[in-house]
Amino acid sequence: MKRKKTSKVIIYLIMILISIIMIFPFYWMIVTSFQPLKAVYKYPPEFIPSEPTFNNYKVIFGKYNFLRYTINSLFVATTAAFGQLFTCSLAGFAFARMKFVGKEIFFGLLLATMMVPIEVVIIPEFLLMNALGWIDTYLPLIVPSFLVGSTGTFLMRSFYENVPRELEEAAVIDGAGPFRVYWNVFLPLSRSSLSALFIISFLINWNAMLRPLIYLNDQKKFTLPLALISFMGEYSAQWNYLLAGAVVSVLPIFVVYVIMQRQFIEGITSTGLKG
Amino acid sequence: MRYKWYVPYLFILPAMIGLFVFRLGPIFFAISMAFTDWSPFGSPSFIGLENFIDLFTSPDFWRILLNTLLFSGIFVPSIVIFSLLLAVLLNQGLKGTTVFRVMYFAPVVTSTVAVGIVWKWIFSSDVGAVNFILRSLGISNPPSWLSDGKYALMVVAFVFAWKRVGYYMIIYLAGLQDIPKTFVEAAMIDGASKFKVFRYITLPLITPTMFFVMIMSLIDSFRNFEIIYTMTRGGPGIASTTLSYYVFQNAFELFQMGYASSIAVMLLLIVGTITLVNFIYRSKWVKYQY
Repeated sequence: MKRKKTSKVIIYLIMILISIIMIFPFYWMIVTSFQPLKAVYKYPPEFIPSEPTFNNYKVIFGKYNFLRYTINSLFVATTAAFGQLFTCSLAGFAFARMKFVGKEIFFGLLLATMMVPIEVVIIPEFLLMNALGWIDTYLPLIVPSFLVGSTGTFLMRSFYENVPRELEEAAVIDGAGPFRVYWNVFLPLSRSSLSALFIISFLINWNAMLRPLIYLNDQKKFTLPLALISFMGEYSAQWNYLLAGAVVSVLPIFVVYVIMQRQFIEGITSTGLKG
Repeated sequence: MRYKWYVPYLFILPAMIGLFVFRLGPIFFAISMAFTDWSPFGSPSFIGLENFIDLFTSPDFWRILLNTLLFSGIFVPSIVIFSLLLAVLLNQGLKGTTVFRVMYFAPVVTSTVAVGIVWKWIFSSDVGAVNFILRSLGISNPPSWLSDGKYALMVVAFVFAWKRVGYYMIIYLAGLQDIPKTFVEAAMIDGASKFKVFRYITLPLITPTMFFVMIMSLIDSFRNFEIIYTMTRGGPGIASTTLSYYVFQNAFELFQMGYASSIAVMLLLIVGTITLVNFIYRSKWVKYQY
């Protein structure tokens, strides 16, 4: 019995030690974001701020317009995520419940392109967006995320495959067309898969950096990650402002993450998407 | 269910536009671009294999390829080992496991840019937290990490592993929970120690998951553009430049679209080979079934 207790203590100690490594950067981000600049460069560093201040937040929301970037990010991520729901639930429904010529080929192609790194497709995509005149608009950030949904389609298909046949047949006998069956029967059933998909695509687009970096020029249109990157280039020594900005970009996600941690973790790992 | 013949095609239309316009089209276009000299403002000209010849004869390319492999060489083993360790710890069923799980997974939901910024600050040479700790431990001249060519790539690979470890931990956890409890219980009754149970029951039964984690993290390790852009911009010099960063740099900073495409094709070949090998050998490498 005693051996069991000591091994428990050791496991807790290891888990706490690892937590420190996992959590310290977040702690340090928050602490630095409340420090005046002179305290940031103090040596030895203050692990607990002696004179915390809200000033950094006042500056980034006042002078540097971070509220605007937050709204931009929110707009891009929400639109792209709703697009994913639309595209993937429609395609997932067809792949799960309908027979048609070319089904295996189309589905195979979707899966085959799942692993292709974005760096491979980004150059032709850029030339396409340039030809369409979409540079410096939100369209290049939204349209590809709206329509490209291999993993999302895969997720929705697996769910729809397991819906009992009788539900679909009953609706068809009642005279419902395919779109009504999809909208009235299947969509409401798949609420949990849809919300997992929404969380993932929102997160990916909220955190995305490469596309905003190459497509956006006008500072007013910047998303949060791009604003941080450009801020870092201009004021590289002002860690207090920079980290306050980082906190602003992380906080909304974290609040929702802590409340809905189960859905977050299951959603992200079930689709195999990169967060 | 029978619907009119065109109905399925209407349902998959948006996804197919996405597939052909933003995935397959660009892939084939990128491959053909690799054989051209192309600046975004001029017209392209076909130059055959010249981009690839330039690439293979440039010492920079071999260094960058080596960096890419080194990055994977640090990232993949760290992920395979540490995410298993975390999963085994969380799988002990102790009180408070949820809290630990939420903490370990937190970096996964955080943006790479925010992660890169805070770690850059932690590793900064003069007033960074890491060097403060090293100095207090008596190391009077700690390295300047990100601005030192010897360490920059390693630090970035470590940070990326820190960000991603929670993700693979969850995959392992699912694998661990699939192991029938009766196996473990039987061994315990026979008097096996916790370590022995892990070594002779858990580890062999977890090999399929381990293989999956290895392949996924290997592919993951090539997607390192954002973390490198945020922390080092490939520097100092080209010390932390990898293939995916090099594609970006050539395409969007030097505007050599054709040359950049030839690098992208190399990246595609590597990732494609791994995916294919995984697909073919998957069933052979998975040893245990129950």
